[in-house]
Amino acid sequence: MTHTLHRRGTADDLSTDYVMLCIRAAGINDSGSDAKLQEFLHIAMHHDPKNIGSVRMNMYSHKPTEVIANAHAVAHAVFDNQQAVTQVLSGLKEADLGLSVVVSGILDPVNECCQKAGLKRHTVEFSLGIWGKTEKLPSNDILEITTMCGHAMVSANLVESMLEDIKKGIKSPHDAAKELTSHCCCGVFNPARATKLLAAIAEPEKST
Amino acid sequence: MGAISMDDIATIDQDECVDCGVCLRSKICPVDAFIYEIAPWPRSLRAIFSNPIIEHKETRVTGRGTEEMKTNDVTGRFKRGWVGIGIELGRPGIGSRFRDVDKVAQAMARLGAKFEPKNPVTLLMKDVGAGKLKEDVLDEKVLSAIVECTFPIEKIKAALIALKEVARDVDTVFSVDCINVVEPDGSLPVDKILSELEIPRYINGKTNVGLGRPLAEGGN
Repeated sequence: MTHTLHRRGTADDLSTDYVMLCIRAAGINDSGSDAKLQEFLHIAMHHDPKNIGSVRMNMYSHKPTEVIANAHAVAHAVFDNQQAVTQVLSGLKEADLGLSVVVSGILDPVNECCQKAGLKRHTVEFSLGIWGKTEKLPSNDILEITTMCGHAMVSANLVESMLEDIKKGIKSPHDAAKELTSHCCCGVFNPARATKLLAAIAEPEKST
Repeated sequence: MGAISMDDIATIDQDECVDCGVCLRSKICPVDAFIYEIAPWPRSLRAIFSNPIIEHKETRVTGRGTEEMKTNDVTGRFKRGWVGIGIELGRPGIGSRFRDVDKVAQAMARLGAKFEPKNPVTLLMKDVGAGKLKEDVLDEKVLSAIVECTFPIEKIKAALIALKEVARDVDTVFSVDCINVVEPDGSLPVDKILSELEIPRYINGKTNVGLGRPLAEGGN
């Protein structure tokens, strides 16, 4: 379940995309873990997350209070800046929930966040990219949007359809991003970043 | 996946459909004509590997993966001196038949890969030592499936070269990841090996920040 890895984008663009995840280790520290996941989400909510979620819900498909109340096994929160990540890590260190926490994002800034929060990285996972029949893939600008849902619940065809609606003036980039976000059940999709990416593709003259 | 085509009515190509459940959850059909029927074995694998809200009864993890490095501070699944590799066939968004998963798993097995026993792909193997999957699953198509294994660090170079070779033989894409425990000085030994092989890595990745408790034996 590497669902927050392999997000594609430029350094500038990815600098606004950090996913934090809190998870129990099955059979080791599950006892009372759902309440701790709720506490993780409460801490995250103090720092203006762009999305939160658990397994079946995100804050664009349900109210944040419902997402928090139903947190089970794993919880996610998406942020668009390093400062928020540092503050949430500091809050989690103080809360000492005892559950594992993973941050997905550009590795060097994430390491800086850990250091500022007084934490030492334990394990790192690199993405070595996409291999095999890459000619089957959609264009890179579409992949920058679809790879924000690692479970591939946001299809390239749906993104193309949203882009058509934006170009025709039927939807705004913000509304299109919200619709895409609702498909990513576990809440790791970043609608703020998606809004910018959709606008840059559909309305390049406005984005420059 | 492109399994649904539109003419006057929507038609689902059952052989291409991976039972991910997106069409149902989106409520896109104006007359609620889409239905999901629980499929018998081996088609039942499609939903398990493609629909992330289904929890696998063996792994106790929703979706197609495992806890992998996310809980490594507690489980110690990946140890110093070892490197974890995840090869996710079909990702991003293309899908894969298990026939291609089988090819990649066997290529890794030939180099002595230690497959993660709790991974759903490993559970489909009839011969884990050889990385061979059961014959009756090979034609099934899923959104993605992850071959998850570990190698001693001295073998990782050969494993990545073998992976480059098998990439030419599959009819899909796969996303590759590489897991390493951080050394006390903050370094990641596998970084040097990737540079030697001229295998680029993305600037972004996943960091387990070591807050899980109890810490695994030998943990930081």
